[in-house]
Amino acid sequence: MKKYREENIMQELYRVGGTLNEGFVGQISYTVCLETEYKNLDIHFIFDKQHHTAVTNELIAKVRRTCYDNYGIVDYPQDKAVDLILGEMKTEIHTLATLNDEFIGCIHRQSTDRHMLYQNGEATEGCIPQTAFSGVLKVTVLVFNVILDNTNYILSVSAE
Amino acid sequence: MYKRLELHNHTTESDSSLTCQELVAHMLSDSVDAFALTDHNTISGHRKIRAILQETGAPIDCIYGMEYTTYYGHILCLNLEEYVPWENINRHRPELLFAAAKEKGALTGIAHPFSYGDPFARGCRFEMTVTDYSAVDFIEIFNNPEPLHEVNEPGLLLWENLVLKGYRLAATCGMDLHGKWSFTDQYATFIEGEKNGDIASELAEAIHSCRTWVSRGPLLIACFSPEENTLTFSVQKSTKPGFVYPDSYQLVIRTVSGDKTFPLQASGSVRLCADLFGNDRILIPKLYGNTTALEDLYCVSPVITL
Repeated sequence: MKKYREENIMQELYRVGGTLNEGFVGQISYTVCLETEYKNLDIHFIFDKQHHTAVTNELIAKVRRTCYDNYGIVDYPQDKAVDLILGEMKTEIHTLATLNDEFIGCIHRQSTDRHMLYQNGEATEGCIPQTAFSGVLKVTVLVFNVILDNTNYILSVSAE
Repeated sequence: MYKRLELHNHTTESDSSLTCQELVAHMLSDSVDAFALTDHNTISGHRKIRAILQETGAPIDCIYGMEYTTYYGHILCLNLEEYVPWENINRHRPELLFAAAKEKGALTGIAHPFSYGDPFARGCRFEMTVTDYSAVDFIEIFNNPEPLHEVNEPGLLLWENLVLKGYRLAATCGMDLHGKWSFTDQYATFIEGEKNGDIASELAEAIHSCRTWVSRGPLLIACFSPEENTLTFSVQKSTKPGFVYPDSYQLVIRTVSGDKTFPLQASGSVRLCADLFGNDRILIPKLYGNTTALEDLYCVSPVITL
């Protein structure tokens, strides 16, 4: 699907940002009243700090302790703990949208920058194409895991 | 006929590398009878698969579904025609979500209950407190990519223990497919059905009656005759490619009292008097190869209630 910026200019209807603390699990929903009918819509979400960039002894100890507490893994190897911290552990946030309480899509992919783009009868994978947008749009930020304090995000909704 | 199902698959609609088109082709390449579309938290692929199957006339059925991917575990929904919100899930009352999906006609089950979650992959382990397992239709006892002993064995034991307590839970398995992975020597789910039968109805009947087989190839068929008070077991080959069938097997029947093991020839059958099991009324028949180690487990058959 072509990026909307190549062909069209959408009007930003809503922009919001926030900061998440380490350990938060849950969802934050934003409701946007679409006062006129739109043909195309773009929901753009970005966040930072997806991965650890440094390893500390405290972090290694915490991971090894969690492996023991949760799975009974005794002496989880230190080198594997380092690989886990730098490679696999991640902040995981997804986005879900409803229009007038009907599901219109969810992006469940490991990316820090994502668009839910509905344009010309097509939609980003994970989303269901719509012919028009009017009424109440609700965007829910699904926060599965936050591994670093002060993780920032920005959500914007644009339409034409 | 026995239909081979692949009940846990993802596409690029969520986080797989396979498009809907590629998923259909991959399933056809291994002679799968029906596959489920279980993307994470979206049903956007449903209309795409429907269009592909309609346009191509491919000899394969799709079971439309979704994998509810929550903060506290994953729930497979099959025969799910519409999105059911899960975001307000309460980890101490998951029955509410199971019930909401079932109200829409879906079959609901726990996926890979013992996968590793935090700090490996948060949310993958089923950490919800199920108070009433009658809210659950099935448990995925083998999630093929997961480690056999660390993850799948406790899943199998969970299902066995619940069944032996009297819960009516079907067993399923899946590839948890996220790419063009090989099916060889992996477990698949089998159900009874008719050629050109409606797969959604057949699956619902199989799950509700707990008549599912989880097998790498051979199907252990059991027949209980109340009149003669006997049980007869035999082995049938399935259509799943790649399995090397041995000449002999070991039949293991698990009950509350423990396991009983019997030799079973590939071309023969075993006939047992039901009195052999004393007061045990619930039997879990399983088929093994050379040994009764989990590595040699070929098939888990539908539970028999005497």
